[in-house]
Amino acid sequence: MPTPELRVKNLKVAFTTGDEELIAVHGISYQLNRGETLALVGESGSGKTVSALSVLRLIPEPPGKILSGEILFDDKDLLKLQAKELRERRGRDIAMIFQDPMTSMNPVLTIGEQIIETLLRHTPLSRSGARVKTIDLLNQVDIPFPEQKLDQYPHQFSGGMRQRVMIAMALSCSPRVLIADEPTTALDVLIQAQIIELLKQIKKESQMSILLITHDLGVVAEIAQRVMVMYAGDIVETGPVSKLFRASLHPYTSGLINSVPALKATPQKNFRLSEISGTVPSLSQIPSGCPFHPRCPSAETRCRTDKPRLKEIAPDHAVSCWLHP
Amino acid sequence: MTIQTKTTQAPLLEVRNIKKHFQAKGISGETQTVYALNGISFTLREGETLGLVGESGCGKSTAARTVLRLIEPTAGEILYRNQDLLALRPDKMRSLRKEMQIIFQDPFASLNPRKRIDKILEEPFDIHGFTNPSKIKERVVGLLDKVGLSSDQADKYPHEFSGGQLQRIGIARAIALNPSLIVADEPVSALDVSIRAQVINLLLDLKESMQISYLFISHDMAIVRHFCDRVAVMYLGKIVELADSEPLYNKPQHPYTEALLAAIPSIDPETKKERMKIKGDLPNSMDMPRGCAFHTRCPIREKQCEESIPQLKEARPGHHVACFLRE
Repeated sequence: MPTPELRVKNLKVAFTTGDEELIAVHGISYQLNRGETLALVGESGSGKTVSALSVLRLIPEPPGKILSGEILFDDKDLLKLQAKELRERRGRDIAMIFQDPMTSMNPVLTIGEQIIETLLRHTPLSRSGARVKTIDLLNQVDIPFPEQKLDQYPHQFSGGMRQRVMIAMALSCSPRVLIADEPTTALDVLIQAQIIELLKQIKKESQMSILLITHDLGVVAEIAQRVMVMYAGDIVETGPVSKLFRASLHPYTSGLINSVPALKATPQKNFRLSEISGTVPSLSQIPSGCPFHPRCPSAETRCRTDKPRLKEIAPDHAVSCWLHP
Repeated sequence: MTIQTKTTQAPLLEVRNIKKHFQAKGISGETQTVYALNGISFTLREGETLGLVGESGCGKSTAARTVLRLIEPTAGEILYRNQDLLALRPDKMRSLRKEMQIIFQDPFASLNPRKRIDKILEEPFDIHGFTNPSKIKERVVGLLDKVGLSSDQADKYPHEFSGGQLQRIGIARAIALNPSLIVADEPVSALDVSIRAQVINLLLDLKESMQISYLFISHDMAIVRHFCDRVAVMYLGKIVELADSEPLYNKPQHPYTEALLAAIPSIDPETKKERMKIKGDLPNSMDMPRGCAFHTRCPIREKQCEESIPQLKEARPGHHVACFLRE
């Protein structure tokens, strides 16, 4: 039986623009188990980043607002913690890496200072102890010549190296949960492969749980054990990666998988790709009923009016679709 | 449905040994040279789609722009239907531009936010001396229809559209004057996964209906395989491998191509293979490695790779590779 590390219950997040309140996340629930990598997949505007940022209450308020829900970690609701208690948790128990390492580091501090700062904040290490530990961490993420690199500034690193520094920073306090928001999206494919290998290796060496936010199904298949697919602020399907890619149930999941051209199979020249028609709805115009129905090839009358709920179809495999009531 | 395309052998575009070196100012004011293109040559045949692939910084976008003379090359020749573009008088060049168009990566940045869509689409006709306003209006409606938008969207502004729709408008603008050549610079990279397939399908339809040849720039190896007849792989301003897409993907010759293909995360669990481990980063194009530019990261390099530069050679019919060990 997997042990839940983080439990999200009925999380609902909204953004206010002008006098309109737009719901970005419609009350989603999920749990991240100890030692697993859970991928949160969706297109832009699906609510995947918002729901992950909410875990650490990193949504800018205003315009954002967590309307309701619970985020349980160590049986404490992170949403109810005092600011000071939350600061203690951030970075120490739950760490985060972002898509763009350049904008998430301080450009006027050396990378050493930035990692040492985290260590001094959360661990009893002395300054010189923290420096030794930092060299150790840079070593762990395969940064060559860490003793020298420590005193360099973010701009002196390449994109891939910066992402390694970000990962070293996130790992500095041995967090139990790592939230990774599109950690390889800004990187070239060879560097992406290196970072994926690094994350896998870190996972092997610790019991850390990873919540991975991505739009790239290939990355999901490489690294995650379970996956949640989000569409227009709802989880539409969730299950083990192997199962979901072989036998997805939601038409949106299948559409996403089919619209990626296969690299292995010889394609028929100029064969049309299978496409999902229409566009991702904007938050102000979420369709009635099932939000995917205007783009769904199998939509029925009921899909236009009634919103399906996420239902477990098989152990650990749930889908919200009227085709699988 | 398979679309038949006639690929005739006549070259539409011949690029011969073009180079582009930029001068950049360093922090302390000294001038440095960025070697963006270091002599690339290729031919785009009539009706063909040629993919240019590589990582960021390999020079693929510079190559795309240089071909259209949006950037002037430092050296080399560009022949379009046997006319040397670099030798053309400005007025001649301007009128030839009708035939060669470009689609950009970021549809938000490439359309004027203060212009209505119909005005954006009328502009190519205005520039190239079409004067009959009602004819132009008719053409604009036709263009919108061709790219799958409705004519009642013509009086809207760019911000009222989604990224995928804007890219359709960018495509409509590119095909307005019936071009023979379209340079597509990462046309789907900025789009959501579910929208990419729509735009690729639209480009395939247009290729068929308008006999367009594409120079397709992308870093997405899977889409290139699907879309292109031939593929050129670039590394640090040079073509390291050039072949028909099938042999290139099935039997890559250059270790860089091999590494690129192996690095792509695949959703098909059966393609999981032992990954070719490539260490390190792309070298700086201001400080090029000696010898083969890839030798600093190459898992199979030998002594000669550090000393001399391999030339692009035909290793087997139609399959060109620049590697001493795979010639």
